[in-house]
Amino acid sequence: MIKRLFLGTTDINFINVGRTFYKFFIIEVILFVSIIILSTIGVLNVNLSVDFTGGTTYQLDAEYFDTDIDEVMNSKILDVSRYQTFDNSNSIIFRATENTQEKETEFLFYLSNKFQVPDEEIDFQRVGPTFGEEITEKGLQALIIFLSLVVLLISYRYEFKYSLIALVALTHDLLLVFCIYVLLGLEITPSTVIALLTILGYSLYDTVILFDKLKDSIKTSKFSFLSVESLNKTFNEVLMRSLNTSITSAIPIASILFLGNYLGLSGTLTDFALPLFIGILSGTYSSIFVTVPFLSKIINK
Amino acid sequence: MKKFFKILLLPLISVSLFVLVYVQDISPKLGLDLQGGISVILTADEGTEQELIEQAVEIMRTRIEAFGDVQEPEIAISGENSVLVQLPGVTDQDKAIEALGTTGLLTFRPVLDSSLNTGYSPALDLIVNPDDPEDVTTVVKEGITGVDEVIGVSITDNPQFESYILSINSGYPVIYRLGPAELTGNDIADAIAVFPENEWIVSLEFKDESAALFTDLTKKLANQNGEQRKLAIVLDGEVVSAPGIAFDVDPTVGITGGTAAISMGNADGGEAANNLAIILRYGALPVSFERSSIEKVSATLGEDTLNLGLQAGLIGLIIVSLYLILYYRSLGMVAILGLSSFGLLFYSVISLLGQYQGFTLTLSGIAGIIVSIGLAADSYIVTFEKFKDEIKIGRSFQFAADKAATDAWRTILTADFVSLSAALLLYILAIGPIRGFALALGVATIFDLIFTRLYTRNFVPLVSGFSNNVRFYFPIKAKDLLND
Repeated sequence: MIKRLFLGTTDINFINVGRTFYKFFIIEVILFVSIIILSTIGVLNVNLSVDFTGGTTYQLDAEYFDTDIDEVMNSKILDVSRYQTFDNSNSIIFRATENTQEKETEFLFYLSNKFQVPDEEIDFQRVGPTFGEEITEKGLQALIIFLSLVVLLISYRYEFKYSLIALVALTHDLLLVFCIYVLLGLEITPSTVIALLTILGYSLYDTVILFDKLKDSIKTSKFSFLSVESLNKTFNEVLMRSLNTSITSAIPIASILFLGNYLGLSGTLTDFALPLFIGILSGTYSSIFVTVPFLSKIINK
Repeated sequence: MKKFFKILLLPLISVSLFVLVYVQDISPKLGLDLQGGISVILTADEGTEQELIEQAVEIMRTRIEAFGDVQEPEIAISGENSVLVQLPGVTDQDKAIEALGTTGLLTFRPVLDSSLNTGYSPALDLIVNPDDPEDVTTVVKEGITGVDEVIGVSITDNPQFESYILSINSGYPVIYRLGPAELTGNDIADAIAVFPENEWIVSLEFKDESAALFTDLTKKLANQNGEQRKLAIVLDGEVVSAPGIAFDVDPTVGITGGTAAISMGNADGGEAANNLAIILRYGALPVSFERSSIEKVSATLGEDTLNLGLQAGLIGLIIVSLYLILYYRSLGMVAILGLSSFGLLFYSVISLLGQYQGFTLTLSGIAGIIVSIGLAADSYIVTFEKFKDEIKIGRSFQFAADKAATDAWRTILTADFVSLSAALLLYILAIGPIRGFALALGVATIFDLIFTRLYTRNFVPLVSGFSNNVRFYFPIKAKDLLND
C-alpha cells in the first residue's frame, strides 16, 4: 500500500469515495451550523481575548498556592474576571475588565507584592475594545477582497465552477477551526484571526495545485473535459504530494506547539501555531475529500 | 561550467550576503514582543485630519528625543486615526508615558471672569443668611451646568464651550471663567524663551494662516480691562499661564504680524519662561488621543519567545530536511541546499531591512517565516513529484527532469501568486501584528519564486544527468516504478 501510495498508483475510486465523503461533509455542515447557532444564542461560549472585549491582562511567573489565586480573584481593586495557570510552568495570567489607570496600576503593585515579583517583571496589557474590532474589520475586508480575487483567478485559469468548489473547501477549513475553538473553549486572539487568514492562503494553495494537476490530466486524456478517468488518475497521483506537503508544513508548526508546551510558554506564537496546525490538516483533507464529491457532481451533469 | 555557475548563483549570493551581514554585525531588529518594552496605541477621534495626526507624531518624536533614555523609539501612524508608539527596552510604564509627553490639547482662551474679581468662583452665587451674616453658602448660578457645587469648577473641560478652571499657576488659587478656545497649539509656528533686557520673555510666533485670528482675538481683548484683558493658555484643562494684553496695544489694531511676547518676569532665572516655551512649541499635540491599547512585555518573556521561535524553526528545518532526504534522496539534497540558502538569504535580508529600512522582526513575523519553510519545501515536492510522474510513463531522466522543471514552475507560479496576493492584501489592509506576518510571508513567497526559477529549474535537470538509477532519486526499485 505504501509503495503504491508512493508511486501514485493506488486505484482508489474517488467517485465512490466521494459519495461517502459527501455524506460526511453534510454531517460536518450540520454540526458547523448548529455550533454557530448555539454560540450566537449564547449556549456555547465564544472565548474572545481581551483584545476584542477590552480590559487588562497581567502575566507573571511565581511560585503560588491555589489560595493565593482565590485571594486575587476576590480582591476588590479590579474586577478580575478570569485567570489561567499552566501545568508546565509557574505562569499565571489574570484578566480584568476595564478600569481607570490608577486602579490598574494599583492592581499591578498589589500583584507584585502578593507574589513577590518586581513589578517590571509583570507583563501588562491594556486594550480598548476598538482594537479587536479594528482587527476583525480589517480581517473581514481582506477576506472579501481576497475571495473575490480568488474567484476571478480560478475562473480565469480553470473554470468558474472550480472557483466555487475552492470556496467551499476554504469555508470548510475556516469553520472547522472556528468550531473546534468554540467547542474546546479556546481563547480567540488577534493571532487566531491572522492564523485563519493564513489558513485561507494555505488551503487555496493546496486546491490550486490540485486543480492544476487535474487540468494537466484532462489535457492528456482522451476526453477534453473532466472525466471519471482523469479525476481518479489525478487524485490517486496527487495523494502522495498532498501528504508530503502537509507533513513538511505541519512539522515546523508542530515543533512550535510541542516546544512551546514543553517550555511552558504560552503566547502569541503558540496562539498562532494551534489554529494553523488544525488548519493545515483540514486544508489537506478538504483539498481532496471536500473537492472530490463536488467535482464528481460536475461530471454527472 | 556555465551550468554550475548558474545553479550555484543563488546559494553563492545567499552565503556571501550572510557573511557580509555577519561580519558587519548586523542582526535583525527585534520587535518589542521579542526584546521587551512598552507599546501604546493612541487613537484619535474618527475623521481626524491625517495632517494633524502627522503633526502629532512629529511632536511626540521630538518629545521622546528630548526625554532621552529610550533606545530606538518607534512612532508611526497605523491605520487611519491611530498612532503606534513602541518603546523597546523600557518597562517602566510611568516613565514611558512621561516620555510620550502630554498628549493633551493646548488652547488659547479669553478670560471672561475670574475669582480675582468676585472672591469665589464666577460660577457660584453667594447666599447670605439674612439672620446671620456669618452663615454664607454657595449655589451654582442658574443656567450653568457641569460645575462642581463646592468650589465651582468644571467637572470636565470641553474647550469648545465656556468652562470654569482652577489654576494655581500664579502661586495662589484662581478660578477662571474661560470662553471657548479661539486658537490651539496647532496655530503656533515657534516659541522661544529670551532675555532681551532685565526680564525674561517668551517670544511667540504664529503660523501665517493663524496670524489674523490672533490679531482679531487681541483686538477684542484690548477693549477690555482687568481680568477680561487676559488670554489664558490652557494645556489639558489646566491654565498654564494667563498673560494680560499690554496696555499699549491699540484696540482697533490688535497685535499684528503674527508674533507676540509674553513677559515672564525675572524671578526664577528663566525657568518658567523656558517651560512655557517648551509647552507652546511642542508640549501639546494638535489632537487629543485616547490610549486604546497598552502592552508591556518583560524582557525575559520576549527572550524566551524568541528562543522558542528560533528553536522551533531549526528543529522544523532539520526534520523537514531528513524527511526530504528519505523520500527524494539525491533530489532531497538539492532541496536541502536550496532551503538552507533560502534561510540564509532570508536572515540576511531581514537583517538588512532592519538596519536600513527600520523593519522590525516581531513574533508574527517569525510565525510567517516558519510557515514559509513549508511553502518553500512544497515547491521542491511539486517538482520532484512531477519528475517521478514523467519517469513513470517511461520518459528518459533528462527529458523527465526538463519537463518536470518547466511544468512545476507554472504550477508554483499560480499557487505562489495566490499566496503573494494574500500577503499583499494583508499588508495593505492590516494593522499592527498582521503586517509583520504579511511582510515575512510576501518576502518568502518572492524568494520561493526566485529559487524555483533560477535554482530548482536548473539544478534538477543537472542532477538527472548524474545517474540513470531510479534508486538514486527515489527509495524504490526501478522495476516497481516502471513496470506498473
